Amino acid sequence: MKNEYIPYPAIIESVREEGPETETFRIVFEDEGMMEGFGYQPGQFVQVSLLGVGEAPISIASSPHHRGFIELTIRGMGKLTRAINRLESGDKIYIRGPYGNIFPFEGVKGRDMYFIAGGIGLAPLKSMIDLVLARREEFGRVVLLYGARTPSGLCFKEEIKVWRELEGMEVRLIADIPEGGWTGRTGVVTELWEEAEPWRGGVAYICGPPTMMKCVVEKLIRTGFNKEDIYLTLERQMKCGIGKCGHCSIGGKFVCIDGPVFSAAGANIEKWGR
Amino acid sequence: MKGVVCLVGKFEGERSVSRILTTCIYCGCGCGLYLDADQGRIIGSYPSGNHPVSRGALCVKGWNSYEFVNKLDRLTKPLIRRNGRLEESGWEEALDLVSRRLLEIGDRTGPDSLAFLSSAKTTNEENYLMMKLARAVFRANNIDHCARLCHASTVVGLKAAFGSGAMTNSIEEFEDADCFLVTGSDTTAQHPLIGSRIINAVRDRSAALIVADPRNIELVKYADIHLRQKNGTDVAWINGMMNVIIEEGLHASRYIEERTEGFAKLREVVKDYTPGYVEVITGIPAYLLVASARIYARSEKAMIIYSMGITQHVTGVDNVKSLANLAMLTGHVGFRSTGVNPLRGQNNVQGACDMGALPKVFTGYQSVGDKEVREKFEAVWGVKDLPAVPGLTVTEIFDRARKGDVRGLYIIGENPALSDPDSNRVRVALQQLDFLVVQDIFLSETAEYADVVLPAAGFAEKDGTFTNTERRVQRIRKAIDPPGEARADWEIISGVAERCGYKGMRYSSPSEIMDEIAELTPIYGGMRYDRLEPFGLQWPCPSRDHPGTPYLHKGTFARGKGQFMPAVYIAPDELPDQEYSFLLSTGRVYWHWHTGTMTRRTSTLDREVPEAYVELHPRDAERMQVIGGEEVRVSSRRGNIEIRVKITEKVKEGSVFIPFHFKEAAANILTNPAVDPTAKIPEYKVCAVKIEKMIKCGKVV
Amino acid sequence: MREGCVVEVGFSEPVARYLCPVTVAAVADRGRQGWVHRSTIDDINMNNRILLKRNINELLARSAEAREVYLPLEGPGGDVQFLPLQEPKELDNLNLNYDQLIIPPKNIGFPQLESLFEFKDGEINPTVPVPSRHILFGLRACDLKGILFVDDFFRKNFEDIYYRHRTEGRLTVVVGCTSPSPNCFCTSTSTGPFIEDGFDLQLVDLGERYLVEVGSENGERFIGEFEELFLDASKDEIHHSGEVKVTAAKAVTLKVDFKEAIRRLTEDDVPREIYEEIAERCIYCGGCLYVCPTCTCFNLFDDMKEGEGARFRNWDGCVFEGYTREASGYNPRRDKCSRAARRYEHKLKYDYQETGISGCVGCGRCLTSCPVNIGISNFIEQLTGLDSKQ
Repeated sequence: MKNEYIPYPAIIESVREEGPETETFRIVFEDEGMMEGFGYQPGQFVQVSLLGVGEAPISIASSPHHRGFIELTIRGMGKLTRAINRLESGDKIYIRGPYGNIFPFEGVKGRDMYFIAGGIGLAPLKSMIDLVLARREEFGRVVLLYGARTPSGLCFKEEIKVWRELEGMEVRLIADIPEGGWTGRTGVVTELWEEAEPWRGGVAYICGPPTMMKCVVEKLIRTGFNKEDIYLTLERQMKCGIGKCGHCSIGGKFVCIDGPVFSAAGANIEKWGR
Repeated sequence: MKGVVCLVGKFEGERSVSRILTTCIYCGCGCGLYLDADQGRIIGSYPSGNHPVSRGALCVKGWNSYEFVNKLDRLTKPLIRRNGRLEESGWEEALDLVSRRLLEIGDRTGPDSLAFLSSAKTTNEENYLMMKLARAVFRANNIDHCARLCHASTVVGLKAAFGSGAMTNSIEEFEDADCFLVTGSDTTAQHPLIGSRIINAVRDRSAALIVADPRNIELVKYADIHLRQKNGTDVAWINGMMNVIIEEGLHASRYIEERTEGFAKLREVVKDYTPGYVEVITGIPAYLLVASARIYARSEKAMIIYSMGITQHVTGVDNVKSLANLAMLTGHVGFRSTGVNPLRGQNNVQGACDMGALPKVFTGYQSVGDKEVREKFEAVWGVKDLPAVPGLTVTEIFDRARKGDVRGLYIIGENPALSDPDSNRVRVALQQLDFLVVQDIFLSETAEYADVVLPAAGFAEKDGTFTNTERRVQRIRKAIDPPGEARADWEIISGVAERCGYKGMRYSSPSEIMDEIAELTPIYGGMRYDRLEPFGLQWPCPSRDHPGTPYLHKGTFARGKGQFMPAVYIAPDELPDQEYSFLLSTGRVYWHWHTGTMTRRTSTLDREVPEAYVELHPRDAERMQVIGGEEVRVSSRRGNIEIRVKITEKVKEGSVFIPFHFKEAAANILTNPAVDPTAKIPEYKVCAVKIEKMIKCGKVV
Repeated sequence: MREGCVVEVGFSEPVARYLCPVTVAAVADRGRQGWVHRSTIDDINMNNRILLKRNINELLARSAEAREVYLPLEGPGGDVQFLPLQEPKELDNLNLNYDQLIIPPKNIGFPQLESLFEFKDGEINPTVPVPSRHILFGLRACDLKGILFVDDFFRKNFEDIYYRHRTEGRLTVVVGCTSPSPNCFCTSTSTGPFIEDGFDLQLVDLGERYLVEVGSENGERFIGEFEELFLDASKDEIHHSGEVKVTAAKAVTLKVDFKEAIRRLTEDDVPREIYEEIAERCIYCGGCLYVCPTCTCFNLFDDMKEGEGARFRNWDGCVFEGYTREASGYNPRRDKCSRAARRYEHKLKYDYQETGISGCVGCGRCLTSCPVNIGISNFIEQLTGLDSKQ
């Protein structure tokens, strides 16, 4: 029987700075076979360890169609993530997973895809965006609405540059506090919704701070979006990742095994507090 | 995959879990708890169901007391400073060095240049030995411990008033009291199993609760009356209550006549403290004071509960005496569920005092100035010429060290670099010493200044006794071996004494030490290990067949007649002014203990409150334009710290509160070392500070 | 055997003989195997036997030769502890008439603190315990219910190997409870004082002797091992045992309207004031969750010195503010009231909705261990005493 609590050694192949205290790590398992066999889908996360410091759940930001590595984008928030952000390429970390459920993919083919993210919340969506773009012809419009508190809080600037040039990809950015010569829009991400000229019948994927997600969901529903077509990925304090430790429970569900992706029809927005 | 193979079991997989009954290491409640041990690790702690204090319950610290013991950064080998660095050494070398250097200093500059700080976290037996080491081996009375910083005022004040400086009642008796006057004690945070009894009494049997505390503590929620006095005005409001009681004829005339003396003088002094006058001094509305006085005086079984909010003032002894006056005035001492109850902080601070780890007394508060007492100890210890002059107190020891008069210091289990007031000056003193020995379970902030660090066993790794706040002497038991080469404090102290050429400290077990204590100490006369099963005995317990004493002063006071000792109001030493405009008070939080050595190594506790904060009233925050979580600089005339703001109405406008557990923002850098003239306790509870917004990276953080 | 049973597990004797893996519908999506108790399978033999009380010590002493035998031993001050027998003379302290263990026996499978793995210079070394044959002798019905609940929890989804190894090879011997504590309310939760199934053996106190009910093949096999200590039960004795059970049930005096409580919770029909009052009075000791037979929450933390260390897990729970606080500082259960509600909703609503069984086994420990007398029975009494929205 597998011991799910044991993490596996992996090497940081490269580190890319995304913004203040935010880095994207490209990670390769030490064991080649392990890397080969590491199958995941957008929406899933891994448990990342630094031995002696601790462990935390991190969404996978890369897309499964890129083989041979995974990418994790980490913002230094607590003791562990700050310690990880001090690591450099060649350093060892420990990974177990992947865990959690996935964003609907096959079932939404042919539809318009709306990605709405706040700050570091773009990381899990990026995995999905990459996969959708890799099979662009199978989907309708692809729209990214992305906001952050400050312009420097917007991650994946390189990718965004590329996405903006792509035909069939619409990218709209917004920052709450305009700093450092920001010439883009000022405000919160919900304000971009009107600009996106939404078509009913699309599917929305949302990730960001809790209040932002709540506002976005409410806005979408108000504008006639089906609850069933809204997917959120939730963050909770998580210790085990396998439905045992109880930290991430919401009602009778665990974010780690029943989520982290929830449909707005299933996720009781009012009761996130429980 | 390698499994853990049990070394003890008869067959594969058998686990060797053992469970022992012991006493909690945290507060003075002294809960009975079980520790589970498995392969040298403590894997659980549970309450005893029948122990009179715990009764199947514990506070969160007790429930989690298994964790810190196992930490890998425990000290495991003696350390000796070489070329400025602490390096591992063997016991022989370390003990030789300690005894040689202490003897040298004693020989060269006299016994008074040596000082010893014993510990309220170690056992009675170990405190006794530390006291014996100082007095019998080095002829020094410079022995003290942290009681100086918490209840020195109690020991002095209640001893003078009643003849005994301890809690008069038992914890169990809280369940029957019908009035509680709680002052200067955040009981639910610091003595949770006592605080909860107060809550239950109020909620389930409608007992009366009067809380006199400048802070809006948890118990205020349950209080009938909250007297929110200005910090440091305690003598005034207590005198005010007595004024009302006498004016309205609510005092216990017969009790006063039969059992006390000095009433006339008290009446004279409190005459001036009319409710109106008291309101001016304390800010307590006159009508609330009157109501409180009536409730307290008219209750049949009334208890006063106090702690450091009373004692840690330059008027600490006066505060304590005033509470004693109040209790005697109303006849509220000497009965079940009725009395004056100083809640002792540390698990064994009562015991450390009982054991004479104090500069003026031997065990059981027997004066070093008393020739007969000295002769008794000389005979049993096999020495001559025990010093008759009282030694230095904690605060004086550091003052003298700074001046170069104290040159050698041996500290067990205390962390003055964080816990003592004006800790910058304490650190200077530690640096000035010729020789510093620190004996502890972790490398504390104080140990970093040491010349020799001796690794000690923790509470789960040795046998002994603790005495809780209700004077209950109870066993602790060894559950596992100490880590590495660490040894029990009693073994280490004996080892030092032995190397100093003293033969009178050879013991095979702590039980043997207790026999010696019992022989020398009237109040512990009947305390033998076989009698301490299962849940201990309360002193005084003078003989082998004495059942112990649940409450004191029954029928007559320990000193004969209770002595009224009226005091007049004197303002705190340092009050806010133009520059330092806030009044700072320090204290603890529920989740942490003292300097955090144990609780900050306990995952659940450290997670709940991971860092220091300063409590600031919302109106002050608004005026200063600071927001919750913002980092500010708090400075006093003695130093400054950077700390996050927590906005709360727990503090009054103009007052701030900082818990002192956190080395990263150590509150005691700020506190005032001014002391009470008799008890020498520093005024932790009042000093003046200023708060400044901080500018970081060119912008406001 | 029931439909869905796959195959007898391949462990060598005596490990896990009473377990068989089944493909459970709830986890079938994940393609993982769940575990159910053999005793829920209907081909077990229900022979009733008699064990004379004077033979108990011999039975236990002999059992202990090749197994660990956990039993209720009375220690100093009358505290009864569920501990492994170390030497036969400890049997003098055997107390099968105890009212309540302070700590339920869940800690045998799920200790308060345990290491998951050790590491040194980057090498990880799991510290999975070796399974052992052991008997839990003298369990109360409510505590076995708790154990079975926790079994299911740790076995479903991703199975917890640590729990499994610590509980494999377990034999459960219930001694039905005839001396409940005043805080017990097992008759209201249908979890005692005797248990219907899920046990290997259950003893009914008939005075000088125990009627032994056999609940599983594993129990049958155990009796076979010590055949000479057991007698056949007469009809009278079986009849008598029924009377004992009725009397025992009457001895449980605390009654609450448990069904109504579950209804009120599942229909979100709980006035917020109840939770507010609990949240205010609570002193956050964590005792109620530590002593709860079905609380399984834990924390993970590392300890390390000079590159060498271990990862541990220890008991944790929902009353603590930090339990759900995220690294960003955001906390979905910041206010005390939502934390108080969480505990009751978990036991009386979500457990029930997810598994069909409430996590409350009516043992009353949460009241016994509460310094401020909260407890789930008080909560239920208060709730069901108030008007329903309906």
